[in-house]
Amino acid sequence: MVLYDDSATLAGSCSGSGSSSSFSSKPPPMQQQQQQDIDDLLAGAGYKVRSSELRKVAHRLERLETAMVNSPADFSQLASDTIHYNPSDLASWVDSLLSEFAEPPTYPSEFIMDPVTNQTVANDVWTTTNPNMPQVHQNISYEQQSLNNQLTVVTAMEEDSGIRLVHMLMTCAECVQRGDFSLATSFLKDMQGLLTRVNTVCGIGKVAGHFIDALSRRIFQGIGGGSINGGSAFENEILYHHFYEACPYLKFAHFTANQAILEAFDGHDCVHVVDFNLMHGLQWPALIQALALRPGGPPLLRLTGIGPPSPDGRDSLREIGLRLAELARSVNVRFAFRGVAASRLEDVKPWMLQVNPKESVAVNSIMQLHRLLGSDSNLNSPIENGS
Amino acid sequence: MARSNEVNLNECKMVVPLNTWVLISNFKLAYNLLRRPDGTFNRHLAEFLDRKVPANANPVDGVFSFDVLIDRGTSLLCRIYRPATAEEPQPNVAELEKPVAAEVVPVIIFFHGGSFAHSSANSAIYDTLCRRLVGLCKAVVVSVNYRRAPENRYPCAYDDGWTALKWVNSRPWLQSQKDSKVHIYLAGDSSGGNIAHHVALRAIDSGIDVLGNILLNPMFGGQERTESEQRLDGKYFVTLRDRDWYWRAYLPEGEDRDHHACNPFGPNGRSLEGINFPKSLVVVAGFDLIQDWQLAYVDGLKKAGQEVKLLYMEQATIGFYLLPNNNHFHTVMDEISKFVGVLVHEAHVPVAFVISVLLSRVRVIERNNEIREAFCFLFETTE
Repeated sequence: MVLYDDSATLAGSCSGSGSSSSFSSKPPPMQQQQQQDIDDLLAGAGYKVRSSELRKVAHRLERLETAMVNSPADFSQLASDTIHYNPSDLASWVDSLLSEFAEPPTYPSEFIMDPVTNQTVANDVWTTTNPNMPQVHQNISYEQQSLNNQLTVVTAMEEDSGIRLVHMLMTCAECVQRGDFSLATSFLKDMQGLLTRVNTVCGIGKVAGHFIDALSRRIFQGIGGGSINGGSAFENEILYHHFYEACPYLKFAHFTANQAILEAFDGHDCVHVVDFNLMHGLQWPALIQALALRPGGPPLLRLTGIGPPSPDGRDSLREIGLRLAELARSVNVRFAFRGVAASRLEDVKPWMLQVNPKESVAVNSIMQLHRLLGSDSNLNSPIENGS
Repeated sequence: MARSNEVNLNECKMVVPLNTWVLISNFKLAYNLLRRPDGTFNRHLAEFLDRKVPANANPVDGVFSFDVLIDRGTSLLCRIYRPATAEEPQPNVAELEKPVAAEVVPVIIFFHGGSFAHSSANSAIYDTLCRRLVGLCKAVVVSVNYRRAPENRYPCAYDDGWTALKWVNSRPWLQSQKDSKVHIYLAGDSSGGNIAHHVALRAIDSGIDVLGNILLNPMFGGQERTESEQRLDGKYFVTLRDRDWYWRAYLPEGEDRDHHACNPFGPNGRSLEGINFPKSLVVVAGFDLIQDWQLAYVDGLKKAGQEVKLLYMEQATIGFYLLPNNNHFHTVMDEISKFVGVLVHEAHVPVAFVISVLLSRVRVIERNNEIREAFCFLFETTE
């Protein structure tokens, strides 16, 4: 089950926003108009529904209930597998649940897009006699119906293509991992064909488009040689920052590592962290801050950052160290930084780290050790070599 | 759901305002998604769908609130609502627990509803209701965030209620100036009403005085199928099936609905004759399918010689007290303020502090606050 709520807070225990008597604080100016139409009483209960839409929402709730009663199989699916959007936006929430049902429209006078094309049902709707409907109305309804049919066909095809894209992406990625680039290339061609049939502005099409680009870059660099990181150092830094902001995985790894380090350093006054791959040093501000706040005061912190030598004459390790030192100074943590430039981790020898016998040392390695495993069965891996 | 679904839907649409209908129907459907046939509960989805609001120490419409952890062992939280005074329009953090100023200050310990499984003290609907009670009764409300079923069965909710009662009773800052005692009322709706009764029961002979019980559509039941249950099944948002589910989720496994928690005046109940039980105000909605049990409760109290006032709201459905858009709401609110005010002997402002102690089950991360701050700092850093 996927949950999405754009009003969720960091703390997690409160999913509303603002104070208890007003549902949303500071609405953007263009929404003011709509804001005034919001039903006050429902807002006090945490739901944003426009007064003008109450009847429509009520109607949809009824249909949802009918659908839930009539298809219990779908209903249990609904309970476990639905994507739930912002529950405060009641109208959308009900609509998204309704769309999960394969139930054909029950009211002939309503024209709702049925995600599952059901030709015979559509015909029934058309042929249902409705004495209250004037003749003119029926003509219009026919056109609308055939338009709906076309639209529903597109929807079904789009959904289908989306799913096939996902499967193909997975298989293609596996090929790349195996090194089977020719097969991967043929997948690429198929996927690019599928892309034309989906909406690439949003949704699965957009995501798939990006992944297809990335895979093709990977494949053609794998075949033709050259480094994956084709962009400039500056570009890569920006990309890295975006990735760091958007994805929780790396942040979380850093967070848990820092927590472990903090616990280990408890009670020690001279501490030394060795980072096997400094990257942009994004892990360390949090640790410095946490050490600054620890009861009893911060220790003397040494950080040794290992990283590749910078290609363009800059000393990027030193730059990062300077920034961290600046931060440490601002929170009164005694701090010292050393950069160790090495293109491969196995080239780093213990003496380079200059570990002081009196200090406590933490070795921080985020996704580095697997690189030391041998990928070629002929060569011994550095780990086996005991370096 | 009974047959002729459409008939049912139309009937209840006629007796409640449209926004109430939307609200309660939404709950009904969402709750249907949460109850699993095997008796388990989709707690993650429930917490996601529940609209919650934070406490707010800044007065809004004259009421401010703050959360207090009253029992570390069970992570029992309560949310306290107080009226902002003229002298202290913007209380600061140090003054949240400033002693109540009036001669007599009623403190109402409130137990939110949700059939023992749903909602929390910080649910928007209950936060709103408690704030209304403060303004209405000029009281301090302590809303208890008790542990819920099916993860925590009987008697957890009652235990938490009892803990809250003891806590409230022992707060010097809640003592009325007149007699240096805390003037306590217990209140609750649906399962909260049931909890209020049982906590009052536990308070008997404990030395803690409960001055009154306010039960809004209290949740009671029994093995027998009563006339109202059969007549109203599925007609006004509630079905017998869901009632049964919630009892199965709350009562100890293997117990039936004649367990005394569910049926206090049934075959396994305790006699209240000659007992010093608080006076009760019981509100029954005419379209509530369990009204026969609620009326039997009132009868039981009367037969035991206890003081009880019944408010039977003929055209009311469940949840009518959540939105102030109907007459039943205003009638009931008036009666509540009278019920609580009647013991105020002084002509002073009957500042009844309704304390709804909402017992919350919160994962309290006590240590590592610095880490959390550091983590937040990490989000803000743009290196």
